[in-house]
Amino acid sequence: MNERMDPAPTSSGQATASSSTGPPDAAAGGGMPTEFPAGLRVLLVDDDATCLKIIEMMLRKCHYDVTTCSCAVTALSMLRERKGWFDLVLSDVYMPDMDGFKLLEHIGLEMDLPVIMMSADDHKDVVMKGVTHGAVDYLIKPVRIEPLKNIWQHVVRKKRFELKELEHSGSFEENQRESERHKRAMEECDNATSGCGENLKNIKRKKEGKEEDEQDVDEQADPSQTKKPRVVWSSELHQQFVTAVNQLGIDKAVPKKILELMKVAGLTRENVASHLQKYRLYLRRLSVPQHQDRLDGPFTSAQDATFRSVGTVDGFDLQALAVSGQLLPQNLSALSSGSRRVTNTGLRMPVFDQMGFLNSGNASSTRSASVQQMNRGLGYFSGFSNSIESRQLGQSHQLVEPYGNMCSQVGEEISGLLNLPSPQTTRSSLPGGISNEQVNRSLIMHMSQQGQQFSLSQQHENFHGQPFPRGQIFNGIGGHDSRLSSKFGYQMSPNDISSHISGRTANIAQTPMPGNHISASYSSVPEALYANNIHDSCLTESAASHYPLASSIGDTPTTGNVEALSNTSSLKGVTDLSNCNIYSELRQNKTQDWKLKTVNISYQSGQNLAPKQNNADFGSSLVAHQDSIATVQDESSRNTCTVRKEILSVTTEIENEKIECVAQRNSTILVENSIRLKSESMPDIKHQEVLYDNIISNDLMDVGKQQQEGIEQDDPEFFDAYSLENIPM
Amino acid sequence: MALHISSAPPISAFHHLLCFFFHDTYPEMEYASSLQRQLASMKKNLFDQGYLDEQFYQLEELQDESSPNFVEEVVTLFFRDSSRLVANIDQALQKYPQDFRRLDNFMHQLKGSASSIGAAKMKNECTSFREFCNKENREGCLRSFQKVKKEHAVLKQKLENYFQLLRQDGPVDKATRSGN
Repeated sequence: MNERMDPAPTSSGQATASSSTGPPDAAAGGGMPTEFPAGLRVLLVDDDATCLKIIEMMLRKCHYDVTTCSCAVTALSMLRERKGWFDLVLSDVYMPDMDGFKLLEHIGLEMDLPVIMMSADDHKDVVMKGVTHGAVDYLIKPVRIEPLKNIWQHVVRKKRFELKELEHSGSFEENQRESERHKRAMEECDNATSGCGENLKNIKRKKEGKEEDEQDVDEQADPSQTKKPRVVWSSELHQQFVTAVNQLGIDKAVPKKILELMKVAGLTRENVASHLQKYRLYLRRLSVPQHQDRLDGPFTSAQDATFRSVGTVDGFDLQALAVSGQLLPQNLSALSSGSRRVTNTGLRMPVFDQMGFLNSGNASSTRSASVQQMNRGLGYFSGFSNSIESRQLGQSHQLVEPYGNMCSQVGEEISGLLNLPSPQTTRSSLPGGISNEQVNRSLIMHMSQQGQQFSLSQQHENFHGQPFPRGQIFNGIGGHDSRLSSKFGYQMSPNDISSHISGRTANIAQTPMPGNHISASYSSVPEALYANNIHDSCLTESAASHYPLASSIGDTPTTGNVEALSNTSSLKGVTDLSNCNIYSELRQNKTQDWKLKTVNISYQSGQNLAPKQNNADFGSSLVAHQDSIATVQDESSRNTCTVRKEILSVTTEIENEKIECVAQRNSTILVENSIRLKSESMPDIKHQEVLYDNIISNDLMDVGKQQQEGIEQDDPEFFDAYSLENIPM
Repeated sequence: MALHISSAPPISAFHHLLCFFFHDTYPEMEYASSLQRQLASMKKNLFDQGYLDEQFYQLEELQDESSPNFVEEVVTLFFRDSSRLVANIDQALQKYPQDFRRLDNFMHQLKGSASSIGAAKMKNECTSFREFCNKENREGCLRSFQKVKKEHAVLKQKLENYFQLLRQDGPVDKATRSGN
């Protein structure tokens, strides 16, 4: 007997683009409807009117609450407007205005909703693409109603997964299990119908859940290694990897040698090879022209420019910050005295490094202690996010793709780390959505705890003017342009990163700044994560306090990210945070103590996560405590040098923006400001991309590459010195 | 819901059974049933000849009291959009040099729509067109497209007839349908 199910009460008939009626019975923020799965809020996107009508009807038969949309751009804006309203998105792959995969990325980055792809195309590679982009399922058209009846499981699974993620991030066993399941799933199922969806979900879950998920693709691609345990590329591990690569030279780096240099037990050549591949992609992305407006071409020039301009900022010696590292102590003094020092040490640190280091000594000191920590945790992601940032300006999308998931994870992690209480959690696009924010927050918090927050990210944000909030922050931090880094000089590694991240999540207004901006912020994040690397940068000058990175994250409300982050719970990064090198000395206003967790480079980033979470926004927040110079207490003066360099380079573009931001010392994170400045809405894509570490890392990488002066610590993804300025929340 | 006579899924079979039952019990339905028989055989032909496939049943199952003409609405929508698409493809085929990628995109769209309503023959022709497109075989594309157009026109006509009959059958049909 045919089931004559009553259509869902809320939706009207076949009206396309019908919006759901009022708030569902469940919490608007995404709680389960009481008669779950009935009432599940689904957004259906398909340009084909016939399919749209049919699937809509099917969904209504399943008692779901359906909203239809025939245009991807509209769908995205709808999702943004009503954040938290939808539980699930069903999207077609081939659409005229936007590629379904791009939409998928955006959604993943910004809202972290489960997305199911549909297409008449059942080729394995397309299905695989869906998986790698993070789709929870892939349905082949013509769609039948049976698979649709089960789509609610994706929502539940995701929520559960997120919870679990928070509880214990990065369980190795889980990774292993997932990877095995994943492999089996891939082998068994060609068409990702709901039946096989589970596998896909596992895959996706795995991808999302673990920051070091990048192994996914590799593992998938290598069926022979079905049972190979997944290697989790933690920030330390990645840092070692990058160090090794830098030592060998990117062109000559072969997995075997890298493996030898790394001296990590249990790591196989294949692991390294796949990781290297990703890293190369990341680098390539970074080198793609990004925000031209700020940092054109070589960082050096940018750096110089930024430095100079930075210096002029209210007495914030951003450059000094940029130099961070070594300059820190001196910078701080210099900064405090208002003298600007263009420490154009010619940091040729990779963008990311700079980012991290961009602890703009400028006033904004604050923060990002947490960011640093987060950065640490994020490490890897940050790097990616940086690249994303950089790309952001440009194409970002691409960057985001691979790392999308990671970013989200990072975001999540960061959020956890940050635990910033900022009320305004901007659920910006970070995939982890809230988690990102939280991450940021937590980062910021940490930072603030330390004392000052350098919101490098903020600055970045400002500078980059990337409309997307997230990116903004990160940009500021990661500054693909490394501008930020240079500017800020102070790099808070974890904090920065977190601030970046938070910035991201915080919907940092996308300042018009090019993606670099964000990348910067992102980069800082990664650097932050690799506190080791950044150490030096963090120190930068005390001015670091002024890292508006975080603040620049534009909209103050977004800074909420940082705040939002605070709420996040256990993030993997948390533990990392503790380990993060945070420069305690950085502390201009003795607000933040950056504890530099020096892995390699002792980088002290005064993390003063001012309670004003603002900073938290982004790891990028270069902890630019003026007083607290993230002196690289470490020994490695070299580190400081590098840090400085990075900062210089990064600040180039950010400078301008930064200046504005910096001016806000102690104000909410500059990032916010910058973000605000740039709050133009950047194309979604950018936004998302920015969020993603890829961008940042790319940016960072670019910067790093350009500035690479054989600094071994150049860990593009390492933005240590981001202190989140007191992001005005 | 139309009477499923052949290759009917269980539900339809049951329905079918009911209808027959009614026919036996209620002779006044004879008239209705003749119309329905006509409809049924029409439908059977469509399926047997491969014009329609399983997916069409899916559509029918979506139809209910609250959307009683769902299938017809969908089919109408399909033909409206697909006609436009066919015209676009026709135009694109006239161009020289051939933009195969664009053609393929069009055809992919058409194929997706067609498969959504269960237009089997059309879908197959679309597939073969795409194959020619991939090989950049212009001649093959042209020939294949003629077939696509033909299938499109034929199906359109047949379904129009079917729905016309269905509408006539409407009230009575509803009465019988209510028995499910």
